[in-house]
Amino acid sequence: MATNPLDRRYALLGAVLIAPTILIFSAVIIYPLVSAIYLSLFTIFTPTLRGQWVGLGNYAELMASNEFWRSLANTFIWTVFTLTLQIVLGIAVALMLHQNMVFRSLARSLILFPYFVSTVVAVLVWRWLFNDLYGILNYLALISGLLQRPLDWLGSMPNAMISIVLVGAWKYFPFVVIAVLARLQSIPDQLYEAAKMDGAGPIARFFDVTLPQLKEVLVVVILLRAIWDFKEFDLIYLLTGGGPVISTQTLPLMVYKEAFGLNDMGRASAIAVSMMLVMLVFMVLYLRSAGRSEREGAR
Amino acid sequence: MKMVRRVAFNLFAWSVVGLVAFPLIWMVITSVKPQFELFRIPPTFLPETVTFEHYWTLIYDTPFLKYMRNSLLIAFGTTLVVIVVATLGAHSLVRFRYPGRERLAQLVLFTYLLPSVVLVLPLYLLMVWVGIANSLFSLVVAYTTFALPYALWLLRSFMQGIPDDLEAAALVDGATRMEAFIDVILPQALPGIISTSLFTFILAWNEYLFALVLVNTDEARPLTTGVMNMLISSFNIEWSLLMAASVMMSLPLVIIFAFLSSYLTRGFGAGGVKG
Repeated sequence: MATNPLDRRYALLGAVLIAPTILIFSAVIIYPLVSAIYLSLFTIFTPTLRGQWVGLGNYAELMASNEFWRSLANTFIWTVFTLTLQIVLGIAVALMLHQNMVFRSLARSLILFPYFVSTVVAVLVWRWLFNDLYGILNYLALISGLLQRPLDWLGSMPNAMISIVLVGAWKYFPFVVIAVLARLQSIPDQLYEAAKMDGAGPIARFFDVTLPQLKEVLVVVILLRAIWDFKEFDLIYLLTGGGPVISTQTLPLMVYKEAFGLNDMGRASAIAVSMMLVMLVFMVLYLRSAGRSEREGAR
Repeated sequence: MKMVRRVAFNLFAWSVVGLVAFPLIWMVITSVKPQFELFRIPPTFLPETVTFEHYWTLIYDTPFLKYMRNSLLIAFGTTLVVIVVATLGAHSLVRFRYPGRERLAQLVLFTYLLPSVVLVLPLYLLMVWVGIANSLFSLVVAYTTFALPYALWLLRSFMQGIPDDLEAAALVDGATRMEAFIDVILPQALPGIISTSLFTFILAWNEYLFALVLVNTDEARPLTTGVMNMLISSFNIEWSLLMAASVMMSLPLVIIFAFLSSYLTRGFGAGGVKG
């Protein structure tokens, strides 16, 4: 390809500029990734880090373990429900912020804040809100007559799952707001004018004009959020720790528990690798759609 | 009629905003209430007495400031390393042609989606093996695993927005590629670099999992795991103290939101918001 000397020099300079990236990638991403797969073929006692080869034994055990399937199911339940809420809330709030309202930029900042705040902060605040004796949520629910007696938000099922889904939706829906709002601003007004002329009401306009225009951005947002929700660790670990027992334990939590609670890094790696295999489906879909939009953008 | 609808819509919209922001408002209110007021039934909405005692306790009687120093060092360190490496890398990916470039860009996107929980165990073993476990440096290294792909991807899309002609013009004027990069591309990319730095800083500031696994001394513990430790290790939970800690932990964000929000918006435009 690069035949003339200048082109070759440029290619070399390009390689030099990307070299630090490649070095770091190899050391802290590629090597650990390969290593994770390799580790999953051993049983490794965490405190001593002594290992023993078991081949695919870890995977065979996982396939036969109820806990693994339960955690996988939990991961899907959490992802599907919290993602759905995020999308619905995100679109609704984006439509709202797209209208004229007083102090709109302040409103926008307040809406975005949960997304940027540390998960630790979000969890502390919500655990205080959920507090069974002095929490404001129980108090409000009691005086408004919604509840007869205080609710155990995080310590019993199905409350615990509902609570993490709600907090997850609160924390991450601003991402959808940002993406949808940006797209809304670029929908040409003529489309709405034309729909109005045809006698479409606000609801019909939403389904016939807005939603089709949002379709592309929504596909990307749903895939990205599905990937990120699927691998969520902090929020669930800090809110319920997977409890009660393992009712809200998702796969990332199970990895952590196997590695540092039950002290088997090999098995933990096997769970992590299996989880990645499931995620690979979403990841490939996302890479495809990103590749497609990139090619279209280049055109 | 129109007026009534305006007012009604504004009332509705602001109650939604208030609802979303309520947990954070409640955090601030709780942090300035004296401890005994928390256990009042019915609860007081506005504090009867405003006190900053929890903030003083946090600063003088807990390792909070040490955690904060650690968090600042880690977040600034990560941002610095990642931004320098990613700016060079993104420039290479956008303006140079060499075999494997497209594959590399795809690899970046793939690593951007990779779950930390897969990398954390091998990284832990690696840190123990190299002998840097339990240090601030080990966290900076670990944070590059998610911050570098992210920054590369974001900067790449910023730099794609800079027209090719600018660099070409500089080259015609006799500048070398590196001179053109420094004199022409960098100033153009500066807003993008600032906004990527802010996002990277926030990511590093908020990280929890790596800090949990890789560090178990107060000497290197950042705020996220440090503050959670204060919750777990205390005999009875002092909520107002924890809320004060949460407020302090969110200060950098408030500063960024207040003074640099235009750079955040720019970052959203480039499609770079990670969760």
